[in-house]
Amino acid sequence: MIRFENVTKVYDQKARPALDSVNLEIDRGEFAFLVGASGSGKSTFLRLVLKEDRATSGAVYVAGQNVAKISSWRVPRLRRGIGVVFQDFRLLPQKNVFANVAFAMQVIGKSRSVIRDTVPEVLKTVGLEGKEHRMPHELSGGEQQRVAIARAVVNRPGILLADEPTGNLDPTTSMGIMGILDKINQNGTTVVMATHDDDIVNEMRKRVVELKNGVVIRDEAKALYTSMIPVVGQSRRLKDASGRENLETGQPREEEGQR
Amino acid sequence: MRLAFILSEIGSGLRRNLSMVVSVILVTFVSLTFVGAAGMLQMQINQMKGYWYDKVQVAIFLCSEGSTAAGCAGGPVTAEQQESLTGLLESPAVAQYINDFQFESREEAYNHFKDQFSNSPIVDSVTPDQLPASFRINMKDPEKYQIISETFSSQPGVETVIDQRQLLERLFSVMNGASLVAVSIAGVMIVCAILLIATTIRLSAFSRRRETGIMRLVGASKTVIQLPFILEGVIAAVIGAALASATLWAVAHFFLGEFMSQQYPDTAFISSGQTLILAPALIILGGSLAGISSLLTLRRYLRV
Repeated sequence: MIRFENVTKVYDQKARPALDSVNLEIDRGEFAFLVGASGSGKSTFLRLVLKEDRATSGAVYVAGQNVAKISSWRVPRLRRGIGVVFQDFRLLPQKNVFANVAFAMQVIGKSRSVIRDTVPEVLKTVGLEGKEHRMPHELSGGEQQRVAIARAVVNRPGILLADEPTGNLDPTTSMGIMGILDKINQNGTTVVMATHDDDIVNEMRKRVVELKNGVVIRDEAKALYTSMIPVVGQSRRLKDASGRENLETGQPREEEGQR
Repeated sequence: MRLAFILSEIGSGLRRNLSMVVSVILVTFVSLTFVGAAGMLQMQINQMKGYWYDKVQVAIFLCSEGSTAAGCAGGPVTAEQQESLTGLLESPAVAQYINDFQFESREEAYNHFKDQFSNSPIVDSVTPDQLPASFRINMKDPEKYQIISETFSSQPGVETVIDQRQLLERLFSVMNGASLVAVSIAGVMIVCAILLIATTIRLSAFSRRRETGIMRLVGASKTVIQLPFILEGVIAAVIGAALASATLWAVAHFFLGEFMSQQYPDTAFISSGQTLILAPALIILGGSLAGISSLLTLRRYLRV
């Protein structure tokens, strides 16, 4: 569903790359955590999937398509296949719950009757039935995030990207949100979640991809937040870092070739 | 559905940004009024030029029943007199100065008069026999008017010889100057309007960045995201243009049509109906200026 082939992203020529030769494949229907410290490249990864940014080199495939080859007027179609949830919810404050979710359907031209049928259904999935007419400020953080999730999945995207969706929530509420994401995943949606939250990762026991300084240092199925075999991970990480040194010097020339 | 959505977005944008929208309307209104005023002055000049102005320079008016000039002592011009005048115009002494000449009968004079004064009440009180017949002369060199005047003034059957250019040229140069001033002011005001529209659209895009951000993420097309902003600017500018057109119409109707035409009944003024030709031009001009400047602004300030 999402495939990164040797992807490097350089924001600033002088600094180290945000992503450095990342190779990664996330299959259809998978649930993957993207973990790592701030600045490790998690958000860059998500931005590249959305074609918010272009990879400096390498290829990003989403649903079998190389995103670099999607012309700008077809980018909306790519984004319709991807739902996104953020740490700060990003609801529209002057619209109620129903209108916030309906907004995502209106702007892509869904008919009123389809919206009337679909929105309550999705709100039920995220556990917000009966709260259609509440305004965002009348909801708790967890409820607001549920609205945001409902909005992200209302158009039935194949992929759901979540950028620290539990970052602003307490542990109990977070687990509720995770339950919803898990349910969405079980309905066949590929979920990629960037997070710092070790409790959640440990609880869920899903695939964990750990990034550090733009390099994938661990990719384990049914894993924990920190590797159970830290020593091995550590040594591999060091080797990786030294191995990149040479590549990095060759980077600018490669990038010029790309343009 | 999408249309209804875009319309409601435009509505909320206009409401949220009301003071800016009003200023856009006023600035386009003023600038397009100046554009239209320049257009009206040119129309007025054309109106006053009448049928002959661009074709001839000198007119020899022939005697009619009421003529009091010295050459008209023998009553209205006779066929022989007219004959001899034609002969004189064709004689080498005169022919070397003129390109060609035309005889305008009283019927023709009446028809041309009716066309020129079609919006004036004077047309109803004039009959063909009040208008003199004339020779209309196209000079090789308009400066040589004096020669024609000297040759023909004293001929029997000639009431008067008039250099029409001399009569109107000075007035036209004033009017041309005025329209140049109007165009210059309009130019400055249009620059002002473009910048103001750009600023307004920028503010509007900024105040709705949450919405547009979400629209982008859920895959709304570029059109759905940008169109409300562009139409917002275009609608404001078109309202301004409509106000400008209404103002010009009012000026033509009340000032020219009712006041000036009373003061100067022998001048042909443009009608209020004629100014309506300017309205679509002003509306298209206003709309396209707003459209282009909003589009350029959005390309810089609204990511899609």
